[in-house]
Amino acid sequence: MAPTPSDDDLTLLRHGTAAQRAELAALAAADPGVAARLAEWDRQDAALRTLYPPVADEPLPERLRAALTEAPRSRLWPAAAAAAVLLALGFAGGWFAGRIAGPAGGDLAQAALRSHATYVVETAHPVEVAADEEAHLIRWLSKRLGQELRAPDLAAEGFRLIGGRLLPGDAGPAALLMYEDALGRRLSLYLTRAEGSPEDLRFAEAPGAQAFWWIDGNLGCALVGDLPRDTLRRLAIAAYHGLTDT
Amino acid sequence: MPQPDGIEAAIPALRAYARALLHDREAADDLVQDTLETAVARARQWRGDGTLRSWLFRILLNRFRDGLRRRRAAPVVALFPDAPEPPVPGDGEARLALAEVHAAMGRLPEDQRAALLLVALEGLSLAEAAQALGVAEGTLASRLARARAGLRQMTGREDPAPRPGKGSRP
Repeated sequence: MAPTPSDDDLTLLRHGTAAQRAELAALAAADPGVAARLAEWDRQDAALRTLYPPVADEPLPERLRAALTEAPRSRLWPAAAAAAVLLALGFAGGWFAGRIAGPAGGDLAQAALRSHATYVVETAHPVEVAADEEAHLIRWLSKRLGQELRAPDLAAEGFRLIGGRLLPGDAGPAALLMYEDALGRRLSLYLTRAEGSPEDLRFAEAPGAQAFWWIDGNLGCALVGDLPRDTLRRLAIAAYHGLTDT
Repeated sequence: MPQPDGIEAAIPALRAYARALLHDREAADDLVQDTLETAVARARQWRGDGTLRSWLFRILLNRFRDGLRRRRAAPVVALFPDAPEPPVPGDGEARLALAEVHAAMGRLPEDQRAALLLVALEGLSLAEAAQALGVAEGTLASRLARARAGLRQMTGREDPAPRPGKGSRP
């Protein structure tokens, strides 16, 4: 008799094509262990469906109906509300400093990761100025940073600019540009004046977000998101070229 | 571009999924509201790769992770308070068994719980669920197998030892 397939293999067959499910039925007929495992999985599925039935017999709350039609409001989903309040307090009072510690990467990366964590969860107002006023946004941020800025075009990687905001940075104002893709994944590009020597692309991370950061001329830059490292690096290089190429 | 009707039709499934994921009705509807707002706002960007529901679940899961990230960055807010058992039909023993599954789901790692609910509760295909979770199908299959093994061990329904099993219960 053939060796009993692993649970991973059984899972692939169970959710596979008709031919794969037929193969699985044949395996189960020949091997009581497989049959018992499949019966157990069926029981688990039935228990979950009984526990968590579709919410169809309850009236649809007005706020969910409204969500389908209205322009979204700025809101955190409040399962995290208590934490968000603490975060807001911490952001104002410095409590948050050091909570997100990158294993490498200095103040710039930490400030960028903190800002990302603060604003990425905002549904509709992650930005003060939306991308439809891009020229105004960039002029304003450039003026406040005392440094000519540009918003890199990341459309080739599927991310479009949704806007930006001005932040208090450690050494003066900082700018945050936010991008989003069709899946709602967000990136933030953090820009601030930086003293000191140029830095090549460096990596830093915090729980739930990673950053590539660099210093070029007087500008410190960090691209933050929760994406595979290679993807984020590619985006960071695109952002670097977008900021510097003439 | 998905029709609002299509999104609306998915609401009962999204609400059930969010409840099962969070074990908290209010928080679940908050998450669904956030998901719907994002979906409506991003509808024009949806390129129709994959199914509408895998896209909606993917948005929901991205928002769910944003919430988790927030929670981890701050002092712990209990994700799974001792949730009241959902009202379930059945006699004493069946109720107990279900309550046990409910509690065990709460102790599974979030990624396993999210994956198992997509296929077992919502009936997504392996391909759809993999797309919603942003992982490869093989990765998803082993995550599912681990989730099921975890449930088995926590509910004590069967000996965790390898097969052959002890025969199924009625």
